[in-house]
Amino acid sequence: MKALIVMYKEIIDNLRDRQTFFYALLFGPVLLPLIIGGSLVASFKQFAIDFDEVTELAVVNEQAAPNLLAYLYSKNIDITTAADDVEAAVRAGDINIALEIPTEFGEQLRKANPAPLTLYVNDADKDSTRAARKISALIGAYKNTINSLRMQHRGIDPQVFNSIELTEFDVSEDGSSGQLIASILPFLFIMSMIMGGFYLAIDTTAGERERMSLEPLLALPLDRVDVVYGKFGATLCFVVMSSCLTVLSIYGLFQFFPTELISGGLRFDGSTLVKAFMLVSPLTVFLSAALITVSAYTRSTKEAQTYLGLMMIVPMAPFFLLQFFSLGASTWSMALPMLSQYQLLEKVVLQDDINTLHVFLSVGGTLLAGLLLLRLATKLYRRDRILM
Amino acid sequence: MINAEQLEKAFNKPGSGLFKREQVKAVKEVSFSAADGSVTGLLGPNGAGKSTTLRILATLVHPDGGTATIDGLDISADVLKVRQQLGFMPHNAGIYPRLSARENITYYARLCGLDKAKAQSRVNELAEQLEMTEFLERRAMGFSQGQRTKVALARALVHQPQTIMLDEPTNGLDVMATRGLRAIIKELAMQGHCIVFSSHIMQEVAALCDRVAIIANGTIAIEDDLDGIRHRTGHDDLEDAFVEAIGAAPAEVSQ
Repeated sequence: MKALIVMYKEIIDNLRDRQTFFYALLFGPVLLPLIIGGSLVASFKQFAIDFDEVTELAVVNEQAAPNLLAYLYSKNIDITTAADDVEAAVRAGDINIALEIPTEFGEQLRKANPAPLTLYVNDADKDSTRAARKISALIGAYKNTINSLRMQHRGIDPQVFNSIELTEFDVSEDGSSGQLIASILPFLFIMSMIMGGFYLAIDTTAGERERMSLEPLLALPLDRVDVVYGKFGATLCFVVMSSCLTVLSIYGLFQFFPTELISGGLRFDGSTLVKAFMLVSPLTVFLSAALITVSAYTRSTKEAQTYLGLMMIVPMAPFFLLQFFSLGASTWSMALPMLSQYQLLEKVVLQDDINTLHVFLSVGGTLLAGLLLLRLATKLYRRDRILM
Repeated sequence: MINAEQLEKAFNKPGSGLFKREQVKAVKEVSFSAADGSVTGLLGPNGAGKSTTLRILATLVHPDGGTATIDGLDISADVLKVRQQLGFMPHNAGIYPRLSARENITYYARLCGLDKAKAQSRVNELAEQLEMTEFLERRAMGFSQGQRTKVALARALVHQPQTIMLDEPTNGLDVMATRGLRAIIKELAMQGHCIVFSSHIMQEVAALCDRVAIIANGTIAIEDDLDGIRHRTGHDDLEDAFVEAIGAAPAEVSQ
């Protein structure tokens, strides 16, 4: 009961603090997903080829290959006449890409010789390479058609030259790009949770010591456990609020995500997000307890900011670990807070099956770790040193 | 009613190593008593152990040795009951700047177990008594030292404790505010409360206290009423008597 009074006061008090408010409700849930997710969306859009999009192709000597150009035109390529010095124009970025057709192109084709073509690309320019990949793919398809026709003309089955057909079958049902996005989701959740509770935890523990308001508070007829639980409850409220807002902003952000460009069964609809949120939700308890414990240990807000700043690296650790070493999901790793959430969320996003035991272990292990941290915080509050 | 016997407390010296800890004895063999209906002054120079003694009595730190009772309740055994009997105002007001004066006091009232209605009527009563109605609804950020002290005092009194301990309450107050506070303290003693008041200013204590315990180097050097102190030190002037008393204290620990 008294813990509730402490909690209510801390929430009201901190809602009046602009810094806490900004980090808990704006930075973590809105700005962070925008910065990280937004740049991802942008880079995917740049990397991906959209065959419906109209691409301009500057051509030297158009009249030498009217059929090829008609084919390209039918595939959404706009043909323009190239300037005199195509090489310089492509290098300068005036045009993205240029195709030079030699005068003997048609004749070579008729003689069934290899017909030469030159494509001018600027490899340092992303737009240029993207256009080049698209044009090459289209010309490749055109070439295959002509090859088949030539063989049929000579009475050869075109399949003769297709001795091996290699099919890549990705058992994880995802592509690497999908995996990257899937591991960014827990990262965003955890970061926004930490940002949500960061300033409140510092203000209610180290800040209270610094303001000298802890001494009269602890002299009141209440157990110090109530003080710790009240502060924990207030931190938890902010952390939960922050993570709920994060769900909304991630949902909004992924409406802009070009999912068709990512191989595999990546999904970002409402139900996936809700499932993901349920799986990370035990972390709210764990992280709130961790924030309270670390700041209870420190003597001043500045010290608390330093320690908690270092703590921010912890949620990034599983992210990089999983990126660089492909740690398989094992039973032991599922009992670890943060690592287990990373692995479970990846599966949710990639639509893999989730082991029920793993979920139990993840929830249980995370909550247990949170409770242990709370006990540690209570111990820290019972020391004489808390007032020194 | 306070009875302290042979209280002891040592702290680790700040900056001492992890393995070789050096300790400082902040309080050793502190014994004194304070009666209901009177003001007892705990007088001593800075670093003498006044605050540590009050913190031990307020059950904020555990004594290494010795015992103390407040209204017959042991400070080590009946911690919550002792706190219910006790109003403690540390030497920094420590009020919440983003809460109004009313919210600051109400928070403490609720934590002391008063329900919402009782808490509000108690806050109004205290606002009247301490003359703080004018700034009651304002947020504490930007309060003057006098206003902050009043809020802190109101918080310490909110659960109507029998025993009240004030750690250097007049620090930073101007003359008028100090006079006002003195009047309040005298009034509380008249009502039968036991009041302990710490200070390092002799005149302050002389103006207010019925009994004085002079503390130096963590030990009570002399405990008596004002006339007794004059008589025992052989000085008519109280300041001379204070200096004499401090000098007479065994100087084993230098700070």
